[in-house]
Amino acid sequence: MKLQFTAAQLALRDELRAYFRELMTPALAAECERDMGEGGGPLWREALARMGRDGWIGLGWPEALGGRGLSPLEQFIFVEEVMRAGYPFPFLTTESVGPILAEHGNDWIQREIVPKILRGELLIAIGYSEPGAGTDLASLKTAAVREGDGWVINGQKMWTSLAHFCDYTWLAARTDPEAPKKHKGISMFLVPNNDPGWSCTPVHTLGGVRTNATFYDNIRVSDDHRVGELHGGWKLITSQLNRERLSLINFGPSAELFNATVRWARDSALPGGGRVIDQGWVQLNLARCRALIECMKLIVYKQSWAMTEGTLEMADASAAKVYGSEAFIELYRLLGEVVGQAGLLRDGDGCDSARRLERLYRAASIITFGGGTNEIQRDIISAAGLWMPRASR
Amino acid sequence: MDFGFSDEQREVRDLARRILGEQVSPRSLQAYDEYAAPRFDEDLWRALLDAGLPGVAVAAQWGGMDFGFLELALFIEEVGRGIAPVPAIQHCVGGMLPLQRFGSAAQRARWLPAAVSGELLLTAALTETGNDWSRAPRCVTARRDGDTLCLRGRKSAVPFAAQADLVLLPAALEGGDDVAVVLLDPRGAGVTLLPCESTSFEPQAHLQLDNVRVPPEQVLVGRGGAAAMAWLAERMCAALCAHQLGAADAAMRMAASYTGERQQFGVPISTFQAVGHRMANCYIDVECLRLATYQACSLLHDEQAAALETRIAKVWAGDTGHRVSYATQHVHGGTGIDRDYPLWRYCLWLRHNEMTLGGSGFHLAAIGEGLAGGQGLFA
Repeated sequence: MKLQFTAAQLALRDELRAYFRELMTPALAAECERDMGEGGGPLWREALARMGRDGWIGLGWPEALGGRGLSPLEQFIFVEEVMRAGYPFPFLTTESVGPILAEHGNDWIQREIVPKILRGELLIAIGYSEPGAGTDLASLKTAAVREGDGWVINGQKMWTSLAHFCDYTWLAARTDPEAPKKHKGISMFLVPNNDPGWSCTPVHTLGGVRTNATFYDNIRVSDDHRVGELHGGWKLITSQLNRERLSLINFGPSAELFNATVRWARDSALPGGGRVIDQGWVQLNLARCRALIECMKLIVYKQSWAMTEGTLEMADASAAKVYGSEAFIELYRLLGEVVGQAGLLRDGDGCDSARRLERLYRAASIITFGGGTNEIQRDIISAAGLWMPRASR
Repeated sequence: MDFGFSDEQREVRDLARRILGEQVSPRSLQAYDEYAAPRFDEDLWRALLDAGLPGVAVAAQWGGMDFGFLELALFIEEVGRGIAPVPAIQHCVGGMLPLQRFGSAAQRARWLPAAVSGELLLTAALTETGNDWSRAPRCVTARRDGDTLCLRGRKSAVPFAAQADLVLLPAALEGGDDVAVVLLDPRGAGVTLLPCESTSFEPQAHLQLDNVRVPPEQVLVGRGGAAAMAWLAERMCAALCAHQLGAADAAMRMAASYTGERQQFGVPISTFQAVGHRMANCYIDVECLRLATYQACSLLHDEQAAALETRIAKVWAGDTGHRVSYATQHVHGGTGIDRDYPLWRYCLWLRHNEMTLGGSGFHLAAIGEGLAGGQGLFA
């Protein structure tokens, strides 16, 4: 047991930190800021393509699939550094769906899709939820019907984030309405977002981030666009969600925000003399945050290590998701108290932490239900981690 | 980075688990409830000594297993899992580690082999009432008289003071702000033991010192003892965290298993989400305590700076212990507080570990001071 990075891992971290410092020009940072930390702008695309050229996309994928074959731990170091730099990295495409396509995709996908993902030229949105299918995802109604040697797709998806600038939607559709168990009648498709039958309307959220409702109106795709086994989509969905869950909890940006807030509190004078950080309650808030983030770090590192070893337990993946998502909310409150009124101002009135916190607190709740709601995660923890019998659904 | 255990670490853990599993039971623990007998199972302690476990972190030249702090912490975690009535933390961490680290060649040769074999029992007097800073003693002072130190004052709630042969004890040197650390004979002239009763039934006594003369061969650190005590306090805190981890994990698993069997409305109560989710929260808390503890222990194992990481672990030991104690009692209903069922003793020990050597508030305040003083940012 040794819970510190190896010299090689530290070197990788330093290399990445220097790389991103150079990559994140003020113009790019401003564009990302404008796009509410989602990306999609021209400078953002250019930077992504450059990361692709420099071999930084898919660094954890097997070499046989075009990646660098580094361990999930090193891949995690990468994601952490990119997030820390403030670059909205499209990890749903590169870390979550991409490896599944590389592993399960047919010839067309291997030829046309995977190389473009690795070059940072192709983006994928995720189409699972529907107006009537959220936590009970297997009840989804969007249907793909066999016609000739292709498929005709009809339906509606909700919360299709990033779809308005993505090239494809990774779509879950019902292919066997007669299946006795509803999750055994679902298949996965890659649907081109430039199809005339594809449309999208924005949904604006509390955090200012745009998401979408997407519509699929008689979209015809060839069988090449189907991924994995027919009616075998559920396995791919759960595998993707497990990967997504891992990418949701990043400790890097929290550590960075914490450091910035502490530095601000050290440098800011109080009207009656002394510094903001000299106040006992400020020290207590900051100390609580320090302890919370430390465990966030350890939990995500342990996960990445367990993935590397092939021993990731379901309960631990769920524990990381619950802990991390709830810790974010706590952090943004405790740090928000420290920066005070400035944390209500969109520009933070000269305090960069305050500016970030004003937005973060509004966007924080999404992760307690997104990527598998925390109630379901707690069900998984008590059943898989503590062997407690659970109610049937 | 490696979160796994080495073969040696697994062996130490499994050996401890086997001996403790065989010899500790609710029935054996019952003998010590309400101080019916001093809470010290000497047969069990002998079995652990014969297996070499208390000397796991002592060098081979003194008869130890020659492993490090991590292996010792894994042994203590198992002691916590069974809340075993043995002085493992006091003897191994409070006594042998500082003796090995700070003792003179003569002191080590004289006492370490005897401590490893168990002929000699060690303990440490670290706290004073109202003062959790073991590196800054106030209530015991030492006056120099030639080579000898004359001690006066009082240490409170010293574990196993009546059973131990030597008590490690820090004292404030008169006429300055320096600290000396001595190994005191608790049966020597001028020492009075005033037995006290603690929440966990651990054998403890207040130590009243009235002009106790400590000869030079029993002075462990004559000058600059504050640094030695800080060194020791970190290791004691980490050991308490390991003990807390074992105890909290055991209490949690007891509750998980109970709720899977207890039926109400015709179904196991674990099938109610309100129950399952409270237990899931325990699982997350215990995992945080585990990781924070292993991180601190792995740094201490390598003799690296670990002050912040140890404090963070102790904060988790306090918070997790508190929450797991009340959650597990709660989901058990009346059974959890019934003294015929084993959970209640865990609740006592979770509280003991939470409050010993500073609770969460104490350590959070220290972390906060460090942040204000320019330390503690993330790398």
